[in-house]
Amino acid sequence: MTVLAGDTWGIPGPVFLRWYVVAAVVLVAGALVYRWRALAGTPVHDGGPLGPQQVAYLNGGDQLAVWTALGGLRRAGAVGVRPDRRLTTGGPLPAGVTPLDQAIHHAANRGLRSRELGQDEWVRRALDELRDGLVRRGLALDKERRATLRRGALLVGALLALGFVRAFAGMSNSRPVGWLMLTLVPLFIAFLLLNRVPWRTRAATRALRELRREHTWLRPSAAPAYATYGPSDAAMGVALFGTATLWSMDPGFSEQAEIQRQAMGSSGSSGGSCGGGSSCGGGSSCGGGGGCGGGGGCGG
Amino acid sequence: MTGPSGVGIGWRPEIAGFVAGLPGLRFVEVVAESVAPAGPLPDGLAELRGRGVTVVPHGVKLSLGGAEPVDPARVAHLAGVAAALDAPLVSEHIAFVRAGGVEAGHLLPLPRSREAVAAVVANVRRTQAELPVPLALEPIAALFDWPDDELDEADFLTEILDATGALLLLDVANVHANACNRGGDPTALLDRLPLDRIAYVHVAGGAEHGGFYHDTHTDPVPAEVLDLVRELCDRRPPPALLLERDGHYPPAAELRGELDALAAASGHPVVT
Repeated sequence: MTVLAGDTWGIPGPVFLRWYVVAAVVLVAGALVYRWRALAGTPVHDGGPLGPQQVAYLNGGDQLAVWTALGGLRRAGAVGVRPDRRLTTGGPLPAGVTPLDQAIHHAANRGLRSRELGQDEWVRRALDELRDGLVRRGLALDKERRATLRRGALLVGALLALGFVRAFAGMSNSRPVGWLMLTLVPLFIAFLLLNRVPWRTRAATRALRELRREHTWLRPSAAPAYATYGPSDAAMGVALFGTATLWSMDPGFSEQAEIQRQAMGSSGSSGGSCGGGSSCGGGSSCGGGGGCGGGGGCGG
Repeated sequence: MTGPSGVGIGWRPEIAGFVAGLPGLRFVEVVAESVAPAGPLPDGLAELRGRGVTVVPHGVKLSLGGAEPVDPARVAHLAGVAAALDAPLVSEHIAFVRAGGVEAGHLLPLPRSREAVAAVVANVRRTQAELPVPLALEPIAALFDWPDDELDEADFLTEILDATGALLLLDVANVHANACNRGGDPTALLDRLPLDRIAYVHVAGGAEHGGFYHDTHTDPVPAEVLDLVRELCDRRPPPALLLERDGHYPPAAELRGELDALAAASGHPVVT
């Protein structure tokens, strides 16, 4: 039997395993190093501060950039919504608008629905332009770079497939495959992780964290006075904290225009704003007429 | 630990971004009950403290005018907030907000009687004993006079301040409101108040409804109140003036305009 069985594919198990592990380590390490370098990016302060739509793209991609532009235009009174839920224009475009603002204003003028904005050709073009600018600044990744990063994962996947086939062949050959199977587990995990390719660089993630910290006052839980803040602040609120900002700024518009509700950036360390939350509670109790006292006293 | 100086604004979470963007700001006030002394400061306040802006805790629920002694837990909270903010002083109202365990939810006026003076003085002394910093007292606006008033407003306040050594937080909008609603000449009241005891001044907006002036804090500051600020500054310029706004926040330009008007009326530097 030992004669007939022989080694799978004519290669002894220990020899295969040794070379397989070496190949896996080299491939995964190489992919990681490449990925680490490719995702580093360029610090934001090299190219001036980011606008709300840029922040939105980095935070939530195309869709959030669209909501952000819509939020800014709504706060400026430049767009509205009709009873049939189609968008409409409410006034001229304010000064200093971006190409995305123009595209969305144009789409609103043609009576598109809010969920159709992302497919509009003008909007698409403006979004591409927005992304290209961020790619040039080392904050976002273009399609080619993301494809290259996936290629690393693909190579690991190929090695993984080879390992599975060998293990299967070994098993049908009644050879021990325990060590090989054990090697496949971490390799499979590495494959899954490498397949996840972000659309922004680490520099962008750092910039977002910093912006969220600087703009805690725009958190919807602080009930920001959007009438006091301008369109650009309102847009930054959507960019950093999602459409929850739109809903708290203008619930009538958001409901009528069918803006999906989403809260972002409300997790994690920024829980410090929990203090803000509690102070918010206090604030509201104040509004109730405490502080103002006079207001209360007068009420009698 | 410098005392409040110049033109300030009431810090509220809703307008924290606006307040943070005022370049010349040196003084804000925060509702004391909205700050947890042990926990981290609200983000915007911590940043202002880092910039060296004076933050004065303003209590609204101590009920110094209550017949019963002040709640030690509330006094401890006020003291804790003062320490957490490194505040040079704290302020509270001469009013009661609860009686017999029932919360009014409002600041209610006291009868200006000797008995009320004694009750307020006792409560102020109890509070002062626990506070790490001086206390400033703010008279409130009221729509009516109690039938058993023995003292006029100036005597009532002066007796309390003399007996306790407390500072005065004068609300010019309340002076205007009282003059509108209860009669009397607001400038005559200014002449009789101990203006040298003023720690800072409150200025707020209001509106007239049904023949009464309401100190709403949600409307623009009327010209009459600004005139009264000028009258006050002609007599003795206060070290600081604070704009109170508690809702229905206007566009930033309007708020800046009110702060500039306060600076112009008082001769303090522009903060916007």
